[in-house]
Amino acid sequence: MNPFTGVGVGLRRPHLEKVAALDSTPVPFWEIAPENVVGQGGSRHRQVMKILERDPVITHGLSMSIGGFDAWDRDALANLKGFLKETRSPWHSEHLCWTSFGGATTHELLPMPFTRDAVRHTVERAKRVQAELPVPFLFENVSYYACLGAPEMSEKQFLEEVLEGADCGWLLDINNVYVNSRNHGFDPREWLEGMPLDRVQQMHIAGHAWFEAEQLIIDTHGAPVIDPVIELMQWVLPRIGRPVPVLLERDNEIPELDVLLAERASLQKAYDAALAPVLSGNHD
Amino acid sequence: MIESTEQALGPTWNLQRCMADLILDAGSAESFGGDPRAFGAGRGLQKADQEALEKFKSQLLVYRDLARTALEDPLPDCFPITHALLEQADLWEGCLDAFLASRTIQSPYYRDVNPSFVAWLANSIWGQERWPFLLELAHFEYIEVEILRWPDEAPAMDLKAAPAGDSQVVFDGATRNLAYHFRVHEATKQDPEPASGETFLLGYRDSEGDFIYSELSAHASAFLARCLEGAAVGKAASGLGLELDDVLDLLIGLREKGALLGFR
Repeated sequence: MNPFTGVGVGLRRPHLEKVAALDSTPVPFWEIAPENVVGQGGSRHRQVMKILERDPVITHGLSMSIGGFDAWDRDALANLKGFLKETRSPWHSEHLCWTSFGGATTHELLPMPFTRDAVRHTVERAKRVQAELPVPFLFENVSYYACLGAPEMSEKQFLEEVLEGADCGWLLDINNVYVNSRNHGFDPREWLEGMPLDRVQQMHIAGHAWFEAEQLIIDTHGAPVIDPVIELMQWVLPRIGRPVPVLLERDNEIPELDVLLAERASLQKAYDAALAPVLSGNHD
Repeated sequence: MIESTEQALGPTWNLQRCMADLILDAGSAESFGGDPRAFGAGRGLQKADQEALEKFKSQLLVYRDLARTALEDPLPDCFPITHALLEQADLWEGCLDAFLASRTIQSPYYRDVNPSFVAWLANSIWGQERWPFLLELAHFEYIEVEILRWPDEAPAMDLKAAPAGDSQVVFDGATRNLAYHFRVHEATKQDPEPASGETFLLGYRDSEGDFIYSELSAHASAFLARCLEGAAVGKAASGLGLELDDVLDLLIGLREKGALLGFR
């Protein structure tokens, strides 16, 4: 049975001990950032490795800065390649953004200019990454709060051109689509229509927060997923037409494991309900 | 090893340079907020891009806050006492600003923010005129995290449980022999200013993987330093004028605590 379907959970430090001690888990797969594991040791690391050896895992990167200009740390890249082989991750994803400049890392997902020059640059860098990695590479669409420079195209067109140009898969972050639709005033369903959904290999779903002072929704990953985002996931899944894995992200205000697993179970029901017509062949 | 930075000058590069300056540099919030067009013009942006900076001024400034928020988890977690000290003095944010402006966070690994902070304190001497212990305090706090997360090694084979004069000591790779001018291990969040005083500590992991430290005498610290360099126990002791029986007792005790793996 393919473990990479259904709703998985991002593996986070506060839950390691409990997850490592589980005899069985309803979570079909975990997602983990290789940057937080490679080159580490100690008791927590042993718990992580026990889980990774026992359970299916998908890797998700945080800091390759693929839209940036800094050369990749060759040691870090070698470590990543080794980790991908060790964990047998089916693919590796990174954000369509940049995080570092001039050697300085911000550890923040910074927006790409929506320009032809940025498309060309990002496609070239993505092709180089794909050539290095031992597994397929996916780009994740990010939340962006501002256009960096004068846009020559929409975010939708930018994403589409990068995915097509680099010929890579898409990690569709449905919460980011929702956040962007609210911050920039568009219909998320219209946005998704016409996108290359055949490239979607995985989805992310998460919570967000409204910041009154900034008049923005920020992609905090610090709250439960809200109903409109779940409904958007349910809307797009039949249009993708395959049971692609969905990953529940929680990075801030992390609840107890049982609370997170209850949220996962609820999302799994919504996921199953949305895909039932497709899997039974009754979808229009 | 980090390859040299590409210098692919062009519109995307210029925009990212502008954004990086906005996020990282001290005083950028004021200069950008005051006149975003001039901020962009000074960094080679075209007129349309300057206008976009103006249009998205408040949203772009959000990224400056987010970059600081990204450090709010690792740094207070790793440096709780240093954080408490600077918070009490209302200087934590100023410290973060100066740290970011130094652009010394260069590793792709989030965990390396912590050693970068210590290295920045060492190089910049930020705050150390007021608090001469600051670097040592932050270093000791970081060492705990470093020891906890140090990569595990394959178990050493054929080690002896008891040392002799010709033995070599086999340390766990996580063990650190530390020397400070302040009583950094006695500082707390409530009382974060350590007293002055020569301090010698051995930091290590116990059998459960927890961080432990033992306070040492100056002689014991010097003896262990020689052992760490590979000297035989007897030679290391005699070079310091120490009695062999005394150092053997020290080593047996440290092995029982988990600081040493054994003897060869």
